[in-house]
Amino acid sequence: MIPYARDPQQTIPSSAVKIIGLGGAGSNMLERIALDGIEDADLLGLNTDARTLSTCLAREKIQLGSSLTRGLGAGGDPGLGQQAVLEAESEIRSSIRGRAIVFLCVGLGGGTGSGAAPMVTRIAREEGAFVVVFATMPFAFEGLRRREQAETALNELAVLANALVTFDNNRMGELVLAKQGIHEAFTAADHMIGEAIKAVLRLVIRPGIINVGLDELMSALRTNRSRCLFGSGIANGKDRAAKALKNALNSPLLDQGALLKTAQTVLVHLAGGPDLTLFEIELLMQRLQKFVPADAQILFGAAIDQGMGDSLSITLISALPEDSLATSQRASLSHQAPESLIPDPIDELPATTPRKPSATRDAVVPEATREAEALPLFSTEPETPKPEKHVASFTFTDDTIASDAMMDEPDHLAMLEDEPESEVFDTSITPLDSVSSPESLLETPVAPVDAEHPKLKLGIKSSGPQAELSLDSLNRGRFEGETPNVFEGEDLDLPPFLRKKK
Amino acid sequence: MARRTQIHVGLEIGTSKTCMVVGEIKPDSAVKILGIGVTKTAGIRKGEIYDFAQARACLKDALAKAEDASSVQIGSVYLAVTGAHFQGVNNCGTYRLPDGEPVVASEHVEEASNIAREVPILRDHAILHSIVRNYRLDGLEHSTSPVGLFGKTVESDFHIVHGIATRIQNSIKLVREMPLEVDEIVFSPIATAQMALDRDHREGGALVIDIGGGTTDYALYLNGAIAASGCIPVGGDHVTNDIHLVTGLPFSKADRLKIMEGDASSDLARSVGIAKLTDDRGFAEVEVERSILNEVIRQRLEETLKLVRARLPAGAVEQIGSGIFLTGGTSLMRGFSELAFDVFGRDIYRPEPPEVSGVQASFKDPHYATAIGLIRYAQILETERAGPTGMFKKLGRMIWPFGR
Repeated sequence: MIPYARDPQQTIPSSAVKIIGLGGAGSNMLERIALDGIEDADLLGLNTDARTLSTCLAREKIQLGSSLTRGLGAGGDPGLGQQAVLEAESEIRSSIRGRAIVFLCVGLGGGTGSGAAPMVTRIAREEGAFVVVFATMPFAFEGLRRREQAETALNELAVLANALVTFDNNRMGELVLAKQGIHEAFTAADHMIGEAIKAVLRLVIRPGIINVGLDELMSALRTNRSRCLFGSGIANGKDRAAKALKNALNSPLLDQGALLKTAQTVLVHLAGGPDLTLFEIELLMQRLQKFVPADAQILFGAAIDQGMGDSLSITLISALPEDSLATSQRASLSHQAPESLIPDPIDELPATTPRKPSATRDAVVPEATREAEALPLFSTEPETPKPEKHVASFTFTDDTIASDAMMDEPDHLAMLEDEPESEVFDTSITPLDSVSSPESLLETPVAPVDAEHPKLKLGIKSSGPQAELSLDSLNRGRFEGETPNVFEGEDLDLPPFLRKKK
Repeated sequence: MARRTQIHVGLEIGTSKTCMVVGEIKPDSAVKILGIGVTKTAGIRKGEIYDFAQARACLKDALAKAEDASSVQIGSVYLAVTGAHFQGVNNCGTYRLPDGEPVVASEHVEEASNIAREVPILRDHAILHSIVRNYRLDGLEHSTSPVGLFGKTVESDFHIVHGIATRIQNSIKLVREMPLEVDEIVFSPIATAQMALDRDHREGGALVIDIGGGTTDYALYLNGAIAASGCIPVGGDHVTNDIHLVTGLPFSKADRLKIMEGDASSDLARSVGIAKLTDDRGFAEVEVERSILNEVIRQRLEETLKLVRARLPAGAVEQIGSGIFLTGGTSLMRGFSELAFDVFGRDIYRPEPPEVSGVQASFKDPHYATAIGLIRYAQILETERAGPTGMFKKLGRMIWPFGR
């Protein structure tokens, strides 16, 4: 076999992604994300309050309404927030320009968040970005007024954003012990949101052997006024598939998998080191079957990441209609798929950034087909010695060949996806069309593409080099295998004699 | 109104043994222990059931023995429960009397109590006890209900014990399968304290530490009221396990070594030489250096006591006037009192044999402290219950003069 270089750039370059934290809550989320270390994301902080903004961890900051509020906050008045953002519109525009995907993190209910979020979303859309909004709804104790402000903003966002993920702070509070402080409640909420953003980010910017992308994500979340179910787990060693699944189901948002029972679409993404085996995937999926209804659509993706070492991670994303959760108190994450997403892909197309597709396409096509033959359905192990992760779509992989052509291309995204425009080139692309499965999606600046469009899929990569710290190196004798008896960071089941010797 | 003799049964399903005590409360409130049924427990770890079937078999055995020893047909028991999931918290409820009502009415106190009982607990937890510590009326402490007094603000201070509901239910289910009824569930250290402490001790400030096989339970009383209670999931099993892990001896030998030779005091003179276990024929089977053995034991127990200390409210240890009462099987460890003194710096006592009659040998043994405490608890509960009913009866008699 002739080795050929695969294109590592199947990933959406991080420069194409921007994460915006808007308002006080937004900058908190941003902080969380920065601290949790999303390696390559570009962070932008927007706020009316100059003081809060100055402590924000984002590299880029824009103060909203500096002449309007003179560095003070919006004081809970959405009108003020909206005006403030208009003042800074050109700055925001230039900061967002050229980004394919924009994540907007915002806490609704306050002035800046509720007032400015719809405007920022609109600006981002106008700049041709695919906008995913993560919004938190206020705690119940914050009062009805804020709740109403939040609802209003949410309705606007539902129309404006490409995807909207809603977290209810009330539910978030349930994640933490009732007696823990409000500080912890907010931290837990931010953490959960950070996790979800990371998962979506991985999904979008990292390719996989079996790809899932934004399209799958959207169809997984595609229920009106729904709440997002999200869980991810990582495990290594013997039986890691089962353990990882267990960890994922442990997410409070999934309630041990009970909430998946009624899900109609579940997105499952697996990532593992080069030693990920088909058997493991099979095993894991079999177990998962027990938690999802038989007729549910399972959107499955897998990726190899050298950085994973011998661990395996699984990410589950799904959505339930909000009312179906009324009985189960657990779920804390709600997602709304705005109607706009679902039906109308086409009008969004024009918004997409201009690409130079044709040359690359042509180059890609023959290769892709060739490789399709070369690769088995799933290539589980690193067939091609790539340092990075590989992308292969089920039926064909586009990456390899494309690489050369693409290398010089400024916008990789463009090439990756055959955008909707692909239709134009139909003749040249035909092989692609026929090959790629209908559900596959591109994640590009392009707005949601409708299902019939042929797309290449990008895979989600689950987080790179997270190694799990193994704590149980010591034998625990009689208490072996029990849940660790941890008190103030020490495992009480281990002899103090051994623990304290150090 | 003379009450009948009553028989109560206390059941403690401990990590190392299941113990059922049958006690008789005479009309004059004297307690007599009629019999005790004890079995070694299997299927319990750190105070919680992990093998239901085994635990059931053990309980069945203990029940048979207790019925045998006491010649009583046991129908219902007071059940002591423990486990690391139990937490004791204090909460104070404040109610300000509405304008125009200068006298505290019982509804006002009830309202304050309800407020106090609303502690934030985890979703899966349930409240096991809510015990009144005291009442305050406009900042002045009242140990009894201030109903009928003049005042503005009523506060009631509660100690609330809560734990994971499903685990409590499983303990009840275990007992029901005997079949036995459960009269009441009691958090172990509270039951133990009934036996170990009298009123004077509580007034003076006392801490009961019941260090058993799998758990260390504690209850702190200050100024006559309970101030803290809880459970640390460490006990004698851990000591054995530590010896096993450090020396590599099998469990059975480690356990025997612990009981026969171990010493928890930091007295260097007791850590000289080699501890030996001899087999039936007098040959040494096991030899461990005392310095290591004792150090392992001491570190474990010291850590455990320090954990208890750390969980007590700030400044509580200084308020303990009566002393610290050690009970439970592991408290029999040599040198444990010295160790406890080193940790707490307070007087260390073993609970006096309670004022009960019957098979004396069993009361002195700290192993049975909790189960006997349950009988006491039952007795107290019985009198408390008698109180209100007595009032109702009186009331009833006023209306219905032909009462009993």
